Amino acid sequence: MLRRTRTTKKLARRIDLQYFTRPHPLRRWRFWLSVAVPALALGWLFTQRVQGGQRAYSSGPLSRSHAVFTQQCNLCHVSRARTFAKDVSDQACLACHDAPLHQANQTFTPPCSSCHVEHKGVARLSATSDASCTQCHARLQTRNGISHYATSIDRFESTHPEFSALTDHRIDPGQVRLNHYLHLQPNLLGPDNRRVQMTCDDCHRSAEAHDSWPYAGPTTVSMPAHDTAVEKSVRTSAFMARIKFANQCGGCHTLQFDRRFGDLQAPHDRPEAVHAFVTKQFEQYIAAHPGAVHEAEPPNRQLPERIRIHAPANTSSEWVQYRVEDAEWLLWTKTCKQCHVLIERGGMLPEVVKSNIVERWLPHAQFDHYAHRMMTCVACHANAPASHNTADVLLPGIKVCQQCHRDSSTKDTAEGRCFECHQYHDWTQAKRTKGGFTIPELRGTAELHPAQVSPYP
Amino acid sequence: MLIDRTHRNWFLGSIAGLAVATAAYVPYSLHSPQGARGGSTLGLIYGSLGFVFMLFAGLLGLRKKFPIWRIGRAQTWMRAHLWLGILSFPLILMHGGFHSGGPLTRALMWLFVFVFGSGILGAALQHFMPRFHTARLPMETIYEEIGHVRRQLAEEAQRLVEESCASLEGEISGSSEQQRAVAASAGANWDVTVAAGLQVDEQASNELRRFLHAEIEPFLGSAGSGGTRLAQPAMSRAMFTQLRVIFPATLHSSIDDLENICDEKRQLDEQSRLHRILHGWLLVHIPLSYALLLLGAWHAVMALRF
Repeated sequence: MLRRTRTTKKLARRIDLQYFTRPHPLRRWRFWLSVAVPALALGWLFTQRVQGGQRAYSSGPLSRSHAVFTQQCNLCHVSRARTFAKDVSDQACLACHDAPLHQANQTFTPPCSSCHVEHKGVARLSATSDASCTQCHARLQTRNGISHYATSIDRFESTHPEFSALTDHRIDPGQVRLNHYLHLQPNLLGPDNRRVQMTCDDCHRSAEAHDSWPYAGPTTVSMPAHDTAVEKSVRTSAFMARIKFANQCGGCHTLQFDRRFGDLQAPHDRPEAVHAFVTKQFEQYIAAHPGAVHEAEPPNRQLPERIRIHAPANTSSEWVQYRVEDAEWLLWTKTCKQCHVLIERGGMLPEVVKSNIVERWLPHAQFDHYAHRMMTCVACHANAPASHNTADVLLPGIKVCQQCHRDSSTKDTAEGRCFECHQYHDWTQAKRTKGGFTIPELRGTAELHPAQVSPYP
Repeated sequence: MLIDRTHRNWFLGSIAGLAVATAAYVPYSLHSPQGARGGSTLGLIYGSLGFVFMLFAGLLGLRKKFPIWRIGRAQTWMRAHLWLGILSFPLILMHGGFHSGGPLTRALMWLFVFVFGSGILGAALQHFMPRFHTARLPMETIYEEIGHVRRQLAEEAQRLVEESCASLEGEISGSSEQQRAVAASAGANWDVTVAAGLQVDEQASNELRRFLHAEIEPFLGSAGSGGTRLAQPAMSRAMFTQLRVIFPATLHSSIDDLENICDEKRQLDEQSRLHRILHGWLLVHIPLSYALLLLGAWHAVMALRF
């Protein structure tokens, strides 16, 4: 039987009433740790300061293009006179970069750092957020109150307007007759009387492609891939090579003008140049064959609609004149006219209407054909094989783009943010910038001269 | 601290605060050109609020130093510490746009994670463990007194064994009042040793002393179990049962007392262990909180600069 009892009196007796005056180990540890840990934190901060300057205060790693300046915060963070702050000014950016205005008609210009957000790691600075654009374009306002663009765009997949080339029944302004349907039919008569089946890339290829054109004429033409500053800012492969007669047409559409010269072709040039070439050829011919002046001229089967029949020539110059007229009749009424629009000018040489082939259907955006090379052409240009008229606009609509390019918050889609196709800065207005730093200054191993870093007087 | 119905207003207030903060954050995050950033107006509001809540939570330590100050009830301070501390965490995450940032802010975030985590753990422990404590430790004492009580238990055990051995060895002077009463009831005279009545057994006495030195003293002398067999309840029970078989029935009450002393010691060990768990998280929470407040204040100054 248990004799021990736990009465309150007994329990109270065994308590040392001075116990609270002696610090307990747990409390002692708590106190010393409360001193040591903040001290360690301060020590760490001090070490960071010694080792990396002000890098410890960085709000995140710099982008790859600026990472080399990590040690030199003062390049961008500029002190203002008599202030504690060292914020980033546009002037600091403009010391190295040019930033042409977006639109003269815009109501405000955001600071550089509001769109190009630094200290976010290796992300591209040009990959701006949609909000940078939609802060204006969601409810577009202009200085003069007139806008030529859609005034309410806030999401690519929902409110982005259709491409202007496809709206309001607009037509292709090109003046070269081209029937896509016909060109894609089987058994077309190709070069050297071969039967061919043409495909899209026989004529439409990246400007960077180096392989030969299958339907090129005797001589090909090298064309600059890009003209404008915007085009130069992206890679050459983004664009399709321009359509040139010599490269894409000349192999099939030959320009022979008289049987006497066999396969000799007239130049694909202005009528004046063609006339001079043809005249010269006949003059040389008659000089070499003077007896041909009095030879009877057999009917030209290539000119069934030719009404006027020349009398036999009396002189060589008359013979040249008649033959040139016949050759040009062939050229102007059949060969050239097959593709070009010619305006007759009453006995004078005709005027060829400017071909006006549209080279950039999206003047305010960039489309990179190279990035889409894994797709068939008709995957996007679906109506091209059935197009009979030059006036058909074969540009795919925005809905085609939206099948893949959607809001970037969804992972299984292609990039759908504005910067993917649009550029804010009008690079046609770009100016050259002049560098002002040495390598040690940029790397942070040398002090910056105050005049270099402070745009403020 | 028990998290019960009295916390309801604080809980609802915190939920409302979080809802408002989230409702403001979502459009701000989606439509802000730069995304959510600590330096934006809303980012600074989140940061300031979060830091103020952290500071307030930190003031609890100061409040405890001056318990007689009439600046609100201690319970109210504790509830405010708990709920504002919890609310400060999402606010600071929103302040940073859910990014850890650079070296200083990353260090701050890690500190905050540990402070927050240890705080939540502490709150959970303090909610559940006291009940557990009461149920499992009926013999608990003041934590700081455990060492002192343990020494008293050792002395008590020693005294108990000496009394029992004296009885066994026939020394009436060493016997207790109760033992004398037993002897008297057996018909012995005062001038006759009670030894005969108590069935003197020297061998048993030696055995009891050996048990004291070999088993009980090491167990009661050490702060924890000390690797002794008596630290295990089942083993202890078995050992004392065996003692009851060996020793005469008249000593069973002493053996019961010894077993009770060992039980109390085991409870004190368990109390020590639970106390370390119940309060050990403060060794992480408090020092890291100070470091967090210190670096947080420095971050605020430097962030305003850059």
